[in-house]
Amino acid sequence: MRKDRQRIGVIPIGDIPDIAPKVIAAHISGYLDLQTTLLGSMKNPSYALDRQRLQYNVGPIFQHLESRLFTSVDKVIGILDVDLFVPVFTHVFGEARQGGRVALISIFRLRENPMDTINDSAVALERAAKVALHELCHLYDLTHCENRQCLMHFSGSLSDLDQIPLSFCRYCSQYIREATK
Amino acid sequence: MDEKMSVMVVDDEKIVRESLFFWFEKAGYTVDTASSGFEALKKIEAYPFDIMFVDIKMPGMDGIQLLGKIKTEYPDTAVVIITAYGSIESAINAMKAGASDYLLKPFKPKYLSLVMEKILQQKKLTSEYNYLKGRLEKISRFDNIIGQSSPMMEIFELIPEIAASDASVLLTGETGTGKELVAKAIHAKSTRSQYPFIAINCGSIPDTLLESELFGHRKGAFTGAIHTRKGFLEVVAGGTLFLDEIGEISPKMQIDLLRVLEEKTITRIGSSEPININFRLVSATRKNLEKAISSNTFREDFYYRVNVIHLHIPPLRDRKTDIPLLVEHFLKKYSQETAKHVDHVSKNTLTQLKRYPWPGNVRELENAIERAVVLSKSRTLRSGDFSFLSTSIPRKKTPSLREVGQAYILEVLEMCDWNITHAAKILGINRVTLHKKIDRSGLRTLKK
Repeated sequence: MRKDRQRIGVIPIGDIPDIAPKVIAAHISGYLDLQTTLLGSMKNPSYALDRQRLQYNVGPIFQHLESRLFTSVDKVIGILDVDLFVPVFTHVFGEARQGGRVALISIFRLRENPMDTINDSAVALERAAKVALHELCHLYDLTHCENRQCLMHFSGSLSDLDQIPLSFCRYCSQYIREATK
Repeated sequence: MDEKMSVMVVDDEKIVRESLFFWFEKAGYTVDTASSGFEALKKIEAYPFDIMFVDIKMPGMDGIQLLGKIKTEYPDTAVVIITAYGSIESAINAMKAGASDYLLKPFKPKYLSLVMEKILQQKKLTSEYNYLKGRLEKISRFDNIIGQSSPMMEIFELIPEIAASDASVLLTGETGTGKELVAKAIHAKSTRSQYPFIAINCGSIPDTLLESELFGHRKGAFTGAIHTRKGFLEVVAGGTLFLDEIGEISPKMQIDLLRVLEEKTITRIGSSEPININFRLVSATRKNLEKAISSNTFREDFYYRVNVIHLHIPPLRDRKTDIPLLVEHFLKKYSQETAKHVDHVSKNTLTQLKRYPWPGNVRELENAIERAVVLSKSRTLRSGDFSFLSTSIPRKKTPSLREVGQAYILEVLEMCDWNITHAAKILGINRVTLHKKIDRSGLRTLKK
């Protein structure tokens, strides 16, 4: 008997265009063959705002999400439209702890032009899907891949992200298939 | 460079340590953290790290001090300095002290990735360099004989020349200098190399047994000779016979061997049938054979027969420049054999090892490294790991109780200007006893 597929909860946090969580959930289902559930949205994480940097610290948001049980899903991916950072870095597109339960991604820096709305930009949505798949795979213990044509290759800039195709190399594909069984 | 590197993050701020820890973990590196320079040094002593990210401002030991220590003790470890208080001066200081790079907090994730790529590239170049260095080292090695000092280089040059001839060779040198290795190298380079190399330590075999070992015997030749047996002089057929400690063999055996060398035939014990033999003789001794000739314990004719070519192997104390190379070689050997990751010797310890006289020469050094590696609890050997050496340095003779007593009596006598009554009172003996002691030990001759 086939064991139930892993279930991923997608949570909009703060003011997020409706289309973004739907696109991300669809990519997770399509590329990783996982069940996805759109969970109810959460309020803007004002508690994580660093007033000096005018950015949102990933740490407190993680703590907040990890304190919630989310019993209906195995892993949770939160989507935000604010500028995220971890203290040693200027910014991050997304963040996940290796083998953890919660991942975050921000669409804030993924737009081609900061003034664009996400609805206008197919490119930004594709970038968001790439970051979401990459961070989600970290939750299944995948590490960065040396293959520049694999979604698990590290991308530190938008141009890097755009150069990576929306696919995994055969080793990472095999690994994620095994890990999500 | 497929193998994933190990990284240590050293920062007194927990949040920085955690941020970088998670990033490196996701990148697949083996990662650890330390909250101070002292903790970092403790950790690197126990486990090798390829790359360290070190914050400049830390209480106790700052990042530049830590960088200095790392570069002295573990030069292969790349150090990247990170700081929130950047200045051109601090960056220059860090780079001058050997840092691989310098990052200003907070930095773009892309920069961290680029720094890692750059270091990986450097490591790749270093490993290529080490490979080439290893090949170069082979030039300073000759069939397991290690040395780069001029006396050893001369020996390396002489070995092929000696090997090309078929003359008898006498190797002299102190115990543990590697005479057998040189003998093996001569054999290996000679045209006899496809035939046996047989080594016999003449000093460890009683004369009667040595005769039987060398010449063989017929069944029933003596009690216990239940089979006919070939001696080593026959077995070596075409090869090289290495007689170690040749200075120890008896005059009778010297005559027997002299005859063998002249006639190229032997007769097994208990037999009268001569057997033709063919071998090259390489002998070795730590004794001064010329002195032994003067004292009639070594035959002069035999000496000239075995000493056609003379090669002296210098003691380790006369080629101290070879010590670092030998230490490195034995460290590698015993780290592999014992599966313990001990790959460093601190600078001070190396200096200590170079100062030690090594009376047992290379063999003693090898044993010392083996013992230190086996007992070491860290990856770096320090002076404490060689504490056993100081006890084996010959010390000044400890005076006897009698000598101490005489010295004390003399001291008291001089203190009292040789006034016997005063001195006897201080010493707690009567005057007659003191006079007897002075006469018996001849102390009066020392009176100033």
